[in-house]
Amino acid sequence: MATTTNTLLLESTDLFDDSLSISNTSTCYKAGTTIGLDQTTGLTRLYATSETQFDPFPVVKGATNAAENGKVYIANLSEDETEFITIGIGDAVIGKLYAGDFLWMPWSPKLQHVNDIEITPSVATGINIEYMSIHNYANIYPDSVDS
Amino acid sequence: MATINATINVNSADLTSSALALSRTMTMTKAGTKTGLEFTSGLVRRKLTAVTTIDLVTVGEQMYGTPTASAANKLYIKNTGSSSTDSIAIAIGDKDSDAGEELLATSGNSKITLGNLYGGEWMLIPFEGTANNDIIVTPSTAEATTIEWMLFFE
Repeated sequence: MATTTNTLLLESTDLFDDSLSISNTSTCYKAGTTIGLDQTTGLTRLYATSETQFDPFPVVKGATNAAENGKVYIANLSEDETEFITIGIGDAVIGKLYAGDFLWMPWSPKLQHVNDIEITPSVATGINIEYMSIHNYANIYPDSVDS
Repeated sequence: MATINATINVNSADLTSSALALSRTMTMTKAGTKTGLEFTSGLVRRKLTAVTTIDLVTVGEQMYGTPTASAANKLYIKNTGSSSTDSIAIAIGDKDSDAGEELLATSGNSKITLGNLYGGEWMLIPFEGTANNDIIVTPSTAEATTIEWMLFFE
């Protein structure tokens, strides 16, 4: 097992009359245990030059990971405030990450194509995207293909 | 406008053979601009005591305002518990969806599951806020589970 910690700091001095300061730290465990997640896709940096949707973490046909619970990190590294990436899951849109934005969320992949994570860049002129999953899934990136 | 910063740090000395030390800070801005988000739901705290799916964050007009759909809204959720076995399942869709269904229609009772937050875990995601994109949660236990959430929106 591995020990991977994740920390979030949410801060603002002018959103309210009083300051906002939220701090959370947790450890990445396998679902329902205190055993650390022990696999990762690694931190990928992609220069996307198409507005075509793609799967950063393809789920291979036949894989069943619904009982697992990994973590997903995605960041839009663009410095152009008008550029965004749309993050989807299956048929749903989670939302848009504009330049500099990131997300961190749990992910329990179901069967292939059911709740695959999707990224769609807003421009074809080139946009840098970072993504990583910390997990214990079977049959997922990089030894799988999707469509 | 306000300046709202979110910083993530992910660290591990033994996940891979080289240490992992990821750090990123974002300033929450309105879509397509450098102007900060200025509205929020406030930090909401809810105690759930049944294994029943509920709408945690609904789209459209709310007491705290009307988040602009398809913008740069951000949503923070935390399971404040300490249990490593009890969790809340997070999904997008409608609370009246078929529990076994994993499809999202533009209307009606459907959902897509993201994953689970166990005790102490948090998430920070963009919030689309379009029709049928409520954030719904289902506790894994009828024992009290307390959730905190906060929406930052334009």
